[in-house]
Amino acid sequence: MGELISPEDRTRHQLGLLYSDVNAELRRRSSNGHRNGSQRPARARVRLPAPVPDAIEKLKAELPVLALQAVGELSLRLRRLTGRDVIDLATMMAMVQFISQQAELANRGEAMQVDDFGFDQEWTESLLPIFRWIYRHYWRVETTGLENVPAEGRALLVSNHAGVLPWDGAMIKTALMEEHDHPRHARALIAQFFFGLPYLSWFLRRTGQTVGHPDDSVRLLERDQLVLVFPEGVKGTGKPWSERYRLRRFGRGGYAQVALRAQAPIIPISVVGSEEIYPMLGDLGAIAKLTGFPYFPITPLFPWLGLLGTLPLPSKWRIQFHAPVRTDLMPPDAADDQNLVMTVSDQVRDTIQQGLYDNLKLRRGIFY
Amino acid sequence: MDLEDRPEIAAARRPARKGHRVLVTGVSHYLGGELARRLETRDDVAAVYGLDIDDPKVALERTEFLHADTRHSLLTKLVRGLAVDIVVHCAVLTEGRTPARAMHETNVIGTMNLLAACSGSGSPVRRVVIKSSVAVYGCEPYAPSFLRESMAESAQVGEFLANDLREMEQLVQDFHVRNPAATVTTLRLGRRLGMRELTPLGEYFLLSRVPTFNGLDPRLQLLHDEDAVEAQYRAAVADHPGVYNVAGDGILLLSQAIKLAGRPQLPVLFPFWRAIARAQLKATGFDLPAAIADFLAYGCVVDIDPLEAEFGWRPPHTTRDTLRDFLARDDAGPPTSGPQEYELSQYLQRRRRLAAGARR
Repeated sequence: MGELISPEDRTRHQLGLLYSDVNAELRRRSSNGHRNGSQRPARARVRLPAPVPDAIEKLKAELPVLALQAVGELSLRLRRLTGRDVIDLATMMAMVQFISQQAELANRGEAMQVDDFGFDQEWTESLLPIFRWIYRHYWRVETTGLENVPAEGRALLVSNHAGVLPWDGAMIKTALMEEHDHPRHARALIAQFFFGLPYLSWFLRRTGQTVGHPDDSVRLLERDQLVLVFPEGVKGTGKPWSERYRLRRFGRGGYAQVALRAQAPIIPISVVGSEEIYPMLGDLGAIAKLTGFPYFPITPLFPWLGLLGTLPLPSKWRIQFHAPVRTDLMPPDAADDQNLVMTVSDQVRDTIQQGLYDNLKLRRGIFY
Repeated sequence: MDLEDRPEIAAARRPARKGHRVLVTGVSHYLGGELARRLETRDDVAAVYGLDIDDPKVALERTEFLHADTRHSLLTKLVRGLAVDIVVHCAVLTEGRTPARAMHETNVIGTMNLLAACSGSGSPVRRVVIKSSVAVYGCEPYAPSFLRESMAESAQVGEFLANDLREMEQLVQDFHVRNPAATVTTLRLGRRLGMRELTPLGEYFLLSRVPTFNGLDPRLQLLHDEDAVEAQYRAAVADHPGVYNVAGDGILLLSQAIKLAGRPQLPVLFPFWRAIARAQLKATGFDLPAAIADFLAYGCVVDIDPLEAEFGWRPPHTTRDTLRDFLARDDAGPPTSGPQEYELSQYLQRRRRLAAGARR
């Protein structure tokens, strides 16, 4: 059956579908624009119609299709030349969809909804394709034990923290959205320092993160959310290469207290692979102090290559969700029992450390 | 200076009637004026005395208006002479563009004088309501997402309004310790846009193009004017000791709010060293107070659950409703209608006649 249609024809057919899709999309969007315009005359008055020639307007409208046609033509030629798919049509399709979706979300206007913490669920989910690609193809994450995360209700996820930038948080969140039977958003608590930075604070809030303050975690847990914490904090992300996979002190056990107070189970998580994305060879404390950053890392690529140096290395990742510690079954006044709090904290820490050793053994090497 | 030297005070003296005798400071502003008007309608309130240095802007029926500032010598005579048992202190500047020094005089020194006048043995005062603001927390990027009342002390703020308010609240605290017989309520009112009197924040949302800090999109929480009056009214007519946040439910991101206002957003202001941005804006003709600049950079959202637990009431207008109402008001035309203005002029004439009679 496959022999009846040549691969080239199949590509042409796919391309045709793609063009018609984009055309329909463009038509739908332009008609939407007109409808919005008639609904809000006040807004229309602000935007004065610029005297643009019709020909240019037409060209502007057709530009996406023309660009697609060009890329499609290019992919056909490349295939003829090399005999294999150099530009994957499915990826191209996904990219077109992603861009048009972003444009649509940016023009939501009053329909945009965020929760009390500033979390924009719709937009966060639209970013998933990027993180899915990183998750599946860049770090090839293997996740186990997702059945330990409840389908609904509160839980405190506690993970080890490594690798200069908090990619481990992003990958845990992606795992829960991608592989869990009931996709859920985890809300990570981030070091307070980052909320003073422009753009980054904006991004963190929009994607559901909040300030690392016990108040915030209790509040989120009381709303039956999944809360993700890294008790090691910046001491974990800023540790040197020689100390990789050795857990730091778990703060003062504050997270265990939070879980006991909110009567939420603690789910320990071990992440393997995050230590190797930015091997930290040194730390320029003086520059860190000057800029107010918690550390200023020196890696094989950073700061020598500038922005390129912030590209993480493609290590092989494993994430394991462990069986929950049933802090939800303990009485609420247990939070005031400092002895119990530290016992729970130590138990969680031991579970994560053991999980790290187990998963390191399961990994054949750093990059595969 | 004898009490009789002040014709307004002499005129305000009335044969004792059963019920509360309420002193409201700051009646020339919307909050104080509206509050006095609400209190007038109650049967268990025998008399309402309004104090301010400016004429009131709302027509008051029963309220005796006293043209005076919050100087100590005067206030003591006033409180004792009129046997005031409820004091509502609304003459606290939290939203406007008053210079730092004048603000300090009004907020700290004025409150100090008023509290001194209310204190001491034999003071008739049984209930004190102080208007404060959520500005007391400052606007910190590191602050938890919902500020609780106990977090004001630990906030590290260098901004003068926050420092003044904290000093003022400390005075209130001291007063409470020294005068256990009186119930003290401090209301930290959320940021208002001002339906009648535009606050600088309200003016900001009415700019033809709204400049914002580059890379920052704070969570905002607003308080409706009506809810601000209602909260003060509830605190004035019943005992609710303690410090409470008062603000609307829910939040709006600054970008959402600007979209709701239907105005283009210009993310052009430099996010650090906000004095630069303020100077820039001033050059373009818009004076943005430092406290509001901080608010527009990092926002401030407070927890109002303790208010609900104590008052059994939650501000009915959400942050979104507040902004909607404010924008609708913009289309409604001038704030004071004709008849109201007539009533007001009648009231002021009556008051002057009364004062002249007392002087004679």
